[in-house]
Amino acid sequence: MVKKIPIGPFHPLLEEPEFFELHVDGERVVGIDITIGWSHRGIELLSEHKTWDQVPFLVERICGICSCSHPYAYVKAVEDLCQIEVPLRAQYIRCIAAELERLHSHLLWTGLAGHFLGYNTVFMWTWKFREPVLDILEAVTGNRNHYAVMKPGGVRRDLPQEEVPNIIKMLDQVEKENAMLTKAILDDPVIHARTKGVGIFNKDQCRLYGALGPTARSAGYDVDDRRDHPIDAYDKVSFNVILCEHGDVFDKAVVRQLENFESIKIIRQCLKLIEDTKPGDICAEIREVPPGEGIGVYEAPRGEVLHYVRSNGGNMPMRHKVRAPSFNNILTNELSVLGNTIADAGLITAAVDPCYSCTERIGIVDRASGGRRVLTEADLVRLSHEKTEALRKRFAEGRENG
Amino acid sequence: MEREEVKKRIAERFGSKVRIAERSPKRVYVYAENEIWTDLARFLFDDLNARFDTGAAVDDANGVEVMFFFPFDREHYFVTIKTFAAKPNPTLNSIAAYIPGAKWIEREMFEMYEVNFLNHPDLRPVLRADTRPGDYYPAKREVKDDHETVRQRDDGDARADEVAGKAPKGKNP
Repeated sequence: MVKKIPIGPFHPLLEEPEFFELHVDGERVVGIDITIGWSHRGIELLSEHKTWDQVPFLVERICGICSCSHPYAYVKAVEDLCQIEVPLRAQYIRCIAAELERLHSHLLWTGLAGHFLGYNTVFMWTWKFREPVLDILEAVTGNRNHYAVMKPGGVRRDLPQEEVPNIIKMLDQVEKENAMLTKAILDDPVIHARTKGVGIFNKDQCRLYGALGPTARSAGYDVDDRRDHPIDAYDKVSFNVILCEHGDVFDKAVVRQLENFESIKIIRQCLKLIEDTKPGDICAEIREVPPGEGIGVYEAPRGEVLHYVRSNGGNMPMRHKVRAPSFNNILTNELSVLGNTIADAGLITAAVDPCYSCTERIGIVDRASGGRRVLTEADLVRLSHEKTEALRKRFAEGRENG
Repeated sequence: MEREEVKKRIAERFGSKVRIAERSPKRVYVYAENEIWTDLARFLFDDLNARFDTGAAVDDANGVEVMFFFPFDREHYFVTIKTFAAKPNPTLNSIAAYIPGAKWIEREMFEMYEVNFLNHPDLRPVLRADTRPGDYYPAKREVKDDHETVRQRDDGDARADEVAGKAPKGKNP
């Protein structure tokens, strides 16, 4: 039976499975067809049936990792529409929560990349180091995830001042561990051999494809909404935009690792500056949302999140458009996997940091035989591990020989 | 490039074919006629060096409003270009033919709103399952008269509450 699914436009790549069909000639990838849409939940349509104040609870469920970024971009869109200023204290709390989210997201990706490469120690360490970040998020927002902190006009929960010394102490620890992890990754010859020159997507291609976040910055395409479209407290703190130049998997990892230090720097500044604000002053009142439209953008861990809202003067959006960064970044795989091996393809597609589901599969079309086979995620991980192991042995033999 | 300069250059190049509005210092909206739609997008992207961001569509009784966002990052503002594709067969030239980053969003607008982008390199649905019929556009609203909007359900039945112009029961008013 043919079934019709009434859904609004939404970009499901971030959360659930996507399907890449690789066209290979031997072991080389010569083409790719990407199919998305496996888990369309109709968030935009649902949003049009929620009040302005209820929508943040909905959009923070677009993505478990970006559960601060989506509501952040949404509330900025509403505030753009209403042209209102957010109290200073709320601005700092928003930035703290958002940067903590970046920290845990980048650490999560590093762990997964380690797993893909066959470095399960990196995976275990990184996720262990990520735990205190979630603890800090709980201290700041009350939740380890789905923080429910964003609200049009401000935030829902004040920062408990008594938690600040403990937060600073935990941040010191996270910084120390991130430094150790960064050094371990950047100094490892096998990781260099495995990721350098792999999955290159250059600066000009980034501009044409609208690549965002670490995917773009790793190629030297200098875009970061925290600096380019500063919202709330981002123009009151100093930080560096991390850029690399090669656009390969290694540079993507470098950008993420170094951005962690910048996030910690921003959080420290916000915690210092928030002392000069009045406790309790965390939300500006929005009496009504006028007819019109608003655009909200925020630099999520994976790149810019864009929300567009339109109002007809009612208490619900008449249109709400969501564009997550992976919608642009996944498309870059069209070029970045070409010429690489199947063993690297999983790593390259993961390097843009999409949210994979456990059911992820990749279909292979072998040009020589015309045959068709399906590799599961486990197969891809095995191929990747075999390649890393071969490199490791080769390096070990090289050391023994001289 | 500064906002005033961009507005001036657009006005000089396209004259009466565009209308420029400014909602705030960070948001510029340019309403364009269909015929110069792709030229305007390319002018912003190639000549004025704007970044391509994404697009969006808004459905209404007479057609689909299509917009693309072009941020000017160094100067901290967005230029949104808009045009209107009239029903019953909303048709526009594709900008994906020149800006590959627009491929998926144009496919999405085609799939959801039936906007036919001419010269698109691969205009097929991007989100829908293979089992869904090709002539069904989920976000498209059929307007019965000036006041009533009817959205089709899974089973093809119209929502009774929407037909009656009432808020659904159990929902917020």
